[in-house]
Amino acid sequence: MLKNYLLIAWRIALQRKLFTVINLLCISLTLLVLLVLTALLENTFAPTGVEGKSPRMLQIVTMVSLNEEKGNFRHGPLGYKVITDYIKPLPSAELVAAVSMPESASVYQQGRITDLLLRRADAAYWQILDFEVLDGRVPTAEDVAAGRFVLVLNQSTATQLFGKQSAVGQQLNVGGQQFTVIGVVADVLQLNSFADMWAPVSTYPSSDYQHQLWGNFSALILARSAADFPALRQELATAVAGFKFDDPLKWQEAKIWADSKLEFFARMLLQNQTEPESGAASLLLLISLLMLLFMLLPALNLVNLNTGRMMERSTEIGVRKAFGASRQQLIGQFLVENLLLCCVGGLLGLAMAAGTLELIEQSGVIPYLQVEINLTVFALGMVISMVFGLLSGIIPAWRIAKLDPVHALKGARR
Amino acid sequence: MIKLSAISKNYQTDKVQTRALDNINLQVQAGEFVSIMGPSGCGKSTLLNIIGLLDRPASGQIEINGQLLGKYSDSQVAKLRNQTFGFIFQSFHLINELRVIDNVELPLLYRKMPAAERRAKAKAALEKVGLTARMEHFPNQLSGGQQQRVAIARAMVGEPQILLADEPTGNLDSQMGAEVMSQLLALNQAGTTIVMVTHNEQEAKHSNRIVRVFDGQLVQ
Ligand SMILES: Nc1ncnc2c1ncn2[C@@H]1O[C@H](COP(=O)(O)OP(=O)(O)O)[C@@H](O)[C@H]1O
Ligand SMILES: [Mg+2]
Repeated sequence: MLKNYLLIAWRIALQRKLFTVINLLCISLTLLVLLVLTALLENTFAPTGVEGKSPRMLQIVTMVSLNEEKGNFRHGPLGYKVITDYIKPLPSAELVAAVSMPESASVYQQGRITDLLLRRADAAYWQILDFEVLDGRVPTAEDVAAGRFVLVLNQSTATQLFGKQSAVGQQLNVGGQQFTVIGVVADVLQLNSFADMWAPVSTYPSSDYQHQLWGNFSALILARSAADFPALRQELATAVAGFKFDDPLKWQEAKIWADSKLEFFARMLLQNQTEPESGAASLLLLISLLMLLFMLLPALNLVNLNTGRMMERSTEIGVRKAFGASRQQLIGQFLVENLLLCCVGGLLGLAMAAGTLELIEQSGVIPYLQVEINLTVFALGMVISMVFGLLSGIIPAWRIAKLDPVHALKGARR
Repeated sequence: MIKLSAISKNYQTDKVQTRALDNINLQVQAGEFVSIMGPSGCGKSTLLNIIGLLDRPASGQIEINGQLLGKYSDSQVAKLRNQTFGFIFQSFHLINELRVIDNVELPLLYRKMPAAERRAKAKAALEKVGLTARMEHFPNQLSGGQQQRVAIARAMVGEPQILLADEPTGNLDSQMGAEVMSQLLALNQAGTTIVMVTHNEQEAKHSNRIVRVFDGQLVQ
């Protein structure tokens, strides 16, 4: 019987080309957008690879300095001293890294000047993040302690500067300082690891940065597990309560929040800089709502289309009943037809999403992007389109199949 | 073979209630060819549909092969429709998305039968109505007469005991109508019981018996 159903479904799909195409497009395009979107979101909020330790990692990207009485407010990246004095000593932190935001740096090479993004990091940075080392090595604690002028490039930069030659061992003038390239890592686009080049923090021309409360640094805090986050935040709050400003008359209070990636983006988007609550829940809700809304449109369209189509097919249902189809058999037939359409549409959507992501990665619209399709979201999308397919195909079919054949033959209106 | 006792049927449309059938008693014997005649709207189709279990009466009893139809389940009724009856409709009611051969095969889909056997039987039925050459066509590529012959093949493919035909020639010109009639007569000769609704006195003359309906009631 199943073979029969499949055959009928196939014939009907072929005969009703427009309907089939619209239906397939509806399902596959919805899935396509959904998959691409979640792939990008997931890459941002829960990355694998370089920042794969994200589930037990918190980051502090900015701090707020306040004096409410005087109306003073300052919001920006951390100074290195904040990290060494207040964050590195937190007992629940397994490891704390300091890394500068990517700074534009001019690279002089054979008379050419290239502007590239440079980060300066301490040794812990290379332990917390799992860079994929393609050639050479990354800086060690010794390199950092000794202030060695060693440089790591990402793959694209290495190719851009040195072509097919090995970059490791090459000399490079960055912003007037002479560096030796010691390693090449894979390209990556992520909050803390995005850059073209990396150097030890100790290579700053001046050591002033060590004494600054305001600077250009982020802190990465690795906890033993996510379960330690509350304790970590508690300790941070205690430490920050005793924050000592250089100018205590001008500044009274510091606000520093250790955030997960989602919390960080939520705080940024929702501008919750002065409260501990980042608004991550609201952001998630918003994203989910938008996605649902986005799915709803084609879904309703599909329901409409399918229902109308079912009404058109009421004669067919009547004929089948008249010649001995039971209600069960009819439902079986339409179930198979719908599932087939959903599966084909789903696979099409999956293939299109994979193609689109590949295209985005290669086009370089978003530099160093590397994303993967989330199969959970794919499964969810399939389930949703099946539910809608079933609602729209099976419910009307069921209602018509319940009628006596004459009424179905006359075209069911009620 | 078929026994209807005190069958009534009403239709409720908005505020008007139509009594389509009123206390009908009718028996059809095996091998008979019965014509049902009467003016338009008198309840002929309703009667035929109730005989063929396509519609349910408001009251009354139906006996088929000595079996009283009480509270039959959906699948039991489906089986009866499949094995006992074959239908021919005035407007053919072929499935346009399916090829002729698949249309003819349709009743066999609802039996346990290997695909090859189904195909063979459908071919044989099409051969009887002289349409083997049109097997791979779609219904809307055929003339009305050809479509009705496909419908006859479909009605006969499962070798039902009773053939029910509702104005089978109503949508056909006289020559095509005559062709269809001769095929029905051949089937009756081969032992199939036929109940046919018709407006055509000429056609009705071929049958063993004419039942006349007027305003939902049988007239003798
Ligand atoms: N589905 C329906 N809803 C309402 N009235 C109907 C319906 N089907 C038939 N009728 C009415 O029942 C009566 C008998 O109809 P029908 O059996 O089709 O007549 P005939 O086939 O003799 O022309 C007519 O008055 C018709 O209007
Ligand atoms: Mg009629």
